[in-house]
Amino acid sequence: MSGAFAISQSDKRPMYFQIMDQIKQRIAVRDWAEGQPIPSIRQLAADLQVSVITVKRAYLELEREGVIVTHQGKGSHVASTPGLAVRLREQELRQHLEQATRLALQLGIEPRQLEERLREAGDRIAEKETI
Amino acid sequence: MNHPAIDMSGVGKTYRFFSLENIELKLPRGEIMGLIGPNGAGKSTTIRILLGLVHQDHGDVRVLGHPMPAGQVAAKWDIGFASEDMRLYESQTLGWHMQWMQSIYRNWDSGYAQRLLQRFGLRAEQRLKGISHGQRVKSTLLLVLARKPKLLVLDEPTTGLDPVARHEILRELTDVMRDEGRSVLFSSHNTQDVEQISDRITFIDRGRIIDSMDKEMFLDRWRRLRLEAPFGVTLPALPGVIGVRQEGRMAIATTNAFNPGLPHAYEQTGARVQRIENMTLEEIFVANVERSREEVEV
Amino acid sequence: MNRSLIGELVLKDWRLYRPMILSCIVAGVGALALSQWGNEPTLVVGAVGFFIAIIMAGTMLPLAGIMTERKNKHLAFLMSLPITFLEYTTAKLISTLLIFLVPWLTLVILAISVIEFRNFVPHGVIPMTLILSGLPFVGMCIMIAAALVGESEGWAIAANVFCQSSYGLTWYFLDRIPVLHNNASKPKPVWDPLTLNILGGELVLILVILALTYFLQSRKRDFVF
Repeated sequence: MSGAFAISQSDKRPMYFQIMDQIKQRIAVRDWAEGQPIPSIRQLAADLQVSVITVKRAYLELEREGVIVTHQGKGSHVASTPGLAVRLREQELRQHLEQATRLALQLGIEPRQLEERLREAGDRIAEKETI
Repeated sequence: MNHPAIDMSGVGKTYRFFSLENIELKLPRGEIMGLIGPNGAGKSTTIRILLGLVHQDHGDVRVLGHPMPAGQVAAKWDIGFASEDMRLYESQTLGWHMQWMQSIYRNWDSGYAQRLLQRFGLRAEQRLKGISHGQRVKSTLLLVLARKPKLLVLDEPTTGLDPVARHEILRELTDVMRDEGRSVLFSSHNTQDVEQISDRITFIDRGRIIDSMDKEMFLDRWRRLRLEAPFGVTLPALPGVIGVRQEGRMAIATTNAFNPGLPHAYEQTGARVQRIENMTLEEIFVANVERSREEVEV
Repeated sequence: MNRSLIGELVLKDWRLYRPMILSCIVAGVGALALSQWGNEPTLVVGAVGFFIAIIMAGTMLPLAGIMTERKNKHLAFLMSLPITFLEYTTAKLISTLLIFLVPWLTLVILAISVIEFRNFVPHGVIPMTLILSGLPFVGMCIMIAAALVGESEGWAIAANVFCQSSYGLTWYFLDRIPVLHNNASKPKPVWDPLTLNILGGELVLILVILALTYFLQSRKRDFVF
């Protein structure tokens, strides 16, 4: 289950954050289904070769965000909330859009002008897909 | 059995040119602690006091519940110690050592020992004379790992190893943590390794502990703020900031007590906060030692 | 006392130094054989060779077993075993003594038997042979003491030099004592009071040096590698 995780030293973000991110990604692409049990903190830490406390922190934050649930002594599982995967994808999209908006503002582009850029991007993608 | 794996309090030891003072160190069971500090800081002395090999001048030392050095024999049955300057008998083979350890320690897991031989790329029939540094370190660690001791005390386990060997050893050390009853204390110069696998970090410099805490909490306290000062203004070191380096209008403020109010406080002085960066353990290490030495001088 | 672990350490030393001991025995036997060749020069060379074999055993054992073990950094490994420093000392004392006794007893008994049954020298030399064989035994104890207590190569080497240079001188002076010199040419061994006192003195020295070593080691608080 903890196969394709990769914690990178060159990634500037803290380790616990990377773990959170990759867990959310798995849920978002439905590799990990809603309600599915996930590795225990110690298991995941050993599999990833990181400290237990880092995984503990990641799990705690994920629990706070309602993404996973941990039962004392019984392990953890993905939250059974329906639509969780979609919600996570929405979150990801929102983050990307905020990033794009910030970048646009730095370039002096107003958010309303951004809408046009967005439409152009949609057209370009549609073109690529028909090729 | 709720006692911590290691409990040192008020420990001191005086040598002619060096003294260890007021060492407080607690390692709860089931955790890994990384001990870092410059050369000569007292890491090896602390470790030897832990093993009962050096008798502290004052203070209490308890390892796995046993008082040290009085209980060193009972404690050492459950402690696996490996240090960088340890040598095995070169005229013999690794297998000879493995058999010897197996006859002494009941916990020896021969299946695990065989797997370690494979993973580390070692051969039991190998005579230890003239083997490479990496193979020697791995051999010593194999002897200690295969016993599955409750506490592993390792002095520089990855120093001088190539990346593959380092990776192999980190894998075994983190594997130990699958068992919540086992603990590890290791000293290292390799801040990357310490940052990656430690639950707790203890900094030691010039015979004193300058920090000892939960790693995530520790990393969270340190930040580097990249600031742009208003023209002609020298930015102050606000509370919590241990140093400000400024050249022209560009400044870097290093803090070991970060809170969300700090960037705001700098903006009040007219500065613009360009970026807030996390610091690697290596950067923290250097900044921390410098800070503590300045404090001592003052 | 942690008997099983002390036993393990003694066994370990036996396995490690068996080849060394074997070579000393072979050398000693060879020297004895040489002494039987028939003429005087081979007798002298053989006799001297015999003592050298014993001296070799008494020197190499503490040097390799104690000092080299320290120099080659095996101590950190050994002290990680569940033993105290004093138990390590005890193990070293026992193993060095026992392992030395193997070649010593073998060669001395062999020599006395050869003297008894081959009749190539008067049997009066037997007490002197015993006295002279006892000297490297005492020397070895001095080396053990220096290596264990001194903890440095310097002390061990100094002790070694002291012992080696003393053997020759001691032989010379012993031979000059009229009683001993005369007894050596008697057809039967003479166990006169002086001879017995010297032998007793050697034994006492051995015991005192070893006891002193143990005592001094027990006073140490830190294990210095």
